[in-house]
Amino acid sequence: MSAKVTVRDLRKRYGGVEAAAGVSFDIHDGEIFGLLGPNGAGKTTTVECVIGLRLPDAGTIEICGLDARRQPRAVKQKIGAALQTTALQDKITPREALALFGAFYARRAEPDALLDRFSLRDKANAPFDTLSGGQRQRLALALAFVNEPELVFLDEPTTGLDPQSRLELHAEIAQMKRDGHTVLLTTHYIDEANALCDRVAIIDHGRIIAVGAPQDLIAASQAAPTVSFTTSRPLPAASLAPLVPAGGLTQDGSAVRFSTTDVRRTLGDLLALVDREGVDLTDLHVQKTTLEGVFIELTGSDLRD
Amino acid sequence: MNGLLQEFIVSLRLHFRNRMALIYSYIFPTIFLVAFWVLYRYDRVPLVRHMGELLTVTALGGACFGLPTTMVSERERGVWRRFRLAPVSTVSLVASTVMARYVLLLIAGLLQVVLAMIIGMPRPPHPVDLWIAFTCVAFAFMGLGLVIAMLADNVPAVQALGQCIFLPMLIIGGVAVPLASLPAWAQHLSAFFPGRYAVDAIQQTVTGPGLSAAAFSILALVLIGLAGCIAGAGLFRWDAAERFSARGGKTWVAVALLAWVAVGAFAEWQGRIAAQTPAEPTRAAVPAPAPVAPPAASPATPAPSTESQNASEPAAAPTAANRSTSSTPAREQPARNSASTANQSAATTALSDAGTHSETASHPRSSSTSGRATPPATTSSRGRAVGSSAASTERREAVDTAPTPPVARDTDAVGSTTTNEPASAAPTRWQDVTLADINDTLVFDRLPPDTGVVTPVAKLDELADPDDNDQLEAMTAALATWAPGQVADPVQRVRNYLFVPAVIDVFQMPIERFVPLIIFNRLKTDMPKDQLEKILYWIAIHPDEGDDSAVDNLRPLGLQNGPSDMAEVRNRTGVYAVKLLGRLLGKIVQE
Repeated sequence: MSAKVTVRDLRKRYGGVEAAAGVSFDIHDGEIFGLLGPNGAGKTTTVECVIGLRLPDAGTIEICGLDARRQPRAVKQKIGAALQTTALQDKITPREALALFGAFYARRAEPDALLDRFSLRDKANAPFDTLSGGQRQRLALALAFVNEPELVFLDEPTTGLDPQSRLELHAEIAQMKRDGHTVLLTTHYIDEANALCDRVAIIDHGRIIAVGAPQDLIAASQAAPTVSFTTSRPLPAASLAPLVPAGGLTQDGSAVRFSTTDVRRTLGDLLALVDREGVDLTDLHVQKTTLEGVFIELTGSDLRD
Repeated sequence: MNGLLQEFIVSLRLHFRNRMALIYSYIFPTIFLVAFWVLYRYDRVPLVRHMGELLTVTALGGACFGLPTTMVSERERGVWRRFRLAPVSTVSLVASTVMARYVLLLIAGLLQVVLAMIIGMPRPPHPVDLWIAFTCVAFAFMGLGLVIAMLADNVPAVQALGQCIFLPMLIIGGVAVPLASLPAWAQHLSAFFPGRYAVDAIQQTVTGPGLSAAAFSILALVLIGLAGCIAGAGLFRWDAAERFSARGGKTWVAVALLAWVAVGAFAEWQGRIAAQTPAEPTRAAVPAPAPVAPPAASPATPAPSTESQNASEPAAAPTAANRSTSSTPAREQPARNSASTANQSAATTALSDAGTHSETASHPRSSSTSGRATPPATTSSRGRAVGSSAASTERREAVDTAPTPPVARDTDAVGSTTTNEPASAAPTRWQDVTLADINDTLVFDRLPPDTGVVTPVAKLDELADPDDNDQLEAMTAALATWAPGQVADPVQRVRNYLFVPAVIDVFQMPIERFVPLIIFNRLKTDMPKDQLEKILYWIAIHPDEGDDSAVDNLRPLGLQNGPSDMAEVRNRTGVYAVKLLGRLLGKIVQE
């Protein structure tokens, strides 16, 4: 697969803080690529440098075979972007905004088609300051598509949306891929990255610390698998202790959870235990860690703090 | 290109949806207009001499506040960030914003011109020149607006910076306060502000000969505008997060300021900082070489014999008055009827008449008149310098700053001219007044000075502004058929005539200095000298008698009706009666 985007050793410093400290990654043609990291990790700085909103201090950026730092306007013809917050003039209507921004590009989509696609038909002639948060977000997405871009950048697209809107947006992003667009999205939602992204780069303190498909990252994890189960009635705490000689077991009523390095032996012990106590197993999961687990493992910090 | 056009159209469309922006752009200019109209409503041709100031204030407001406020608020909200994602160049974004603002300014300017014309201003004689001048003014100020927009981090900062430029320019930059009424240091300072050149450029196209007379101002405006645009481009930032203080853009600010300094220094070097606005010297200079009277004026030109006859009289009225008394009936029409084009030619006529007259008349008198020590200043009470026909520039420099004396002093002035109890029994009828009464009762050397604010009288060789001349001519013509000047009772008739300069004096209209002599001329042709002597004396010592309804019948003369302060009007009627009587008797020498 050819690389749609190639970033090498991108650096950007604000005062004493190095927001991007040598970021490198590739995005392949036709994939959904996720930049995953906590707030302040450098996701937005990286994306803003790539799409030309900021001038990087150092590094190379190649987009669709063009040097983005040398030919920013040629690159902008090929990309579309939706920022975390998109502000437009108070009194501009979605239809006007789509026509206005469309006029900047050589290739442009029909405003009516975009209004339909992003469910803005009813609000086509409403001033921007009367739109709801979700409607503004949809307009921002519609604007990202006015030039039928090869490459779409979505910076935290679902932040602040209600669950229903998030699900709709996930479907929309999946559709982008089917339509042949390459997508870069940043997010701090693990489930989002897990569900949408073909590949994920985990970024922290301005550095990419891991890149790969979510399942590959999980498979490569050194973390011990987790066992969680629920019983028909709570088991006595004392009877559970021998299951995990190393400790680290949590019990919440009839729900129990622990990690183990020897899944086969522990499950045998567990089955013997429930048999002995005369209770039924109502639920049982074995999981070789999550993306979150991978992240905690790699960075030592919780993703959502 | 398409994007630029779209952005331009959308900018305009959004502006007209924004109520606050509309108030700023169109209600404020209308308020300015009304304010100027109220201030100068006694000018016979409303606003025409203040279009430069009016349009400059409008352009300044729109460019210094409107433009940067729009730009900074859009940048602050992140609208520009969104634009930056698209392949938009800095130049096209700025160009479309500035173009849209220019159109808005043009509409506001047009609105003011049209409103002024509705109020009574004649159509500007050089509309294309006016448009070009206004465009240059808008360009200069929008350059300024761009710099403000780039310096200010937020909208309140725009307001603060804008005021720093707006207010000084209004007050000491020659925009709201006429340059001639500013102290010398402020006049020098004003050369470093673009406002002065803006006023001049526009004014020259409204009341002057057009752009040709404003070449320096146009050049100054273009230079200042260019410097502003260059500095604005150098300082440009897409993002409110990029603070001005964090960027090394200070040298660009220097570029803009350097243009101001260069223009001011050049003006100083060229000696363009006269007490006059740049518009004035051309007006004042006209009479110096006597221009040839246009053919249209020849029928009205009286025979040389009349001329010398007038000049030989001890107190000859200004030329305009002489002209009208001997003018053809065609000229004797009410002032209000004169159309703008008629005004133009009439002004020319008046000027050339005046020029020729002063040439012929001043020589014999200067030899016969004793004590011709010229008092320093000859200016109107408003502080607008009026050029003398001798074109002696040093005379024009002094600005009359005498405060209006209180009523009491005025009464004193009259009182001091009369002694309380004349030796002989005071006459009970005006017919019984004798020369002895006059000599016993009146003193003519303690009157308010003719050059002062109260009851001023012009010198014979003093010239009014062309527009004023125009008005004086029309008034002279209208006096011939003015009903209060036809009443049978001669005392009341003289009284009525004297109300005219008295009311004009109270209103402090620019023509006030010239009216007394017109009335004097009128009176002299109306009745025999001895009768006029007695009546003037009678009115001087009985200023509060008689009917004053004539004060409310001034409209046919092209004036507003009289003020509510009738006591003041009657006071000044008395003073003028003494001043004219003194001239009639040869006790006061009309210079």
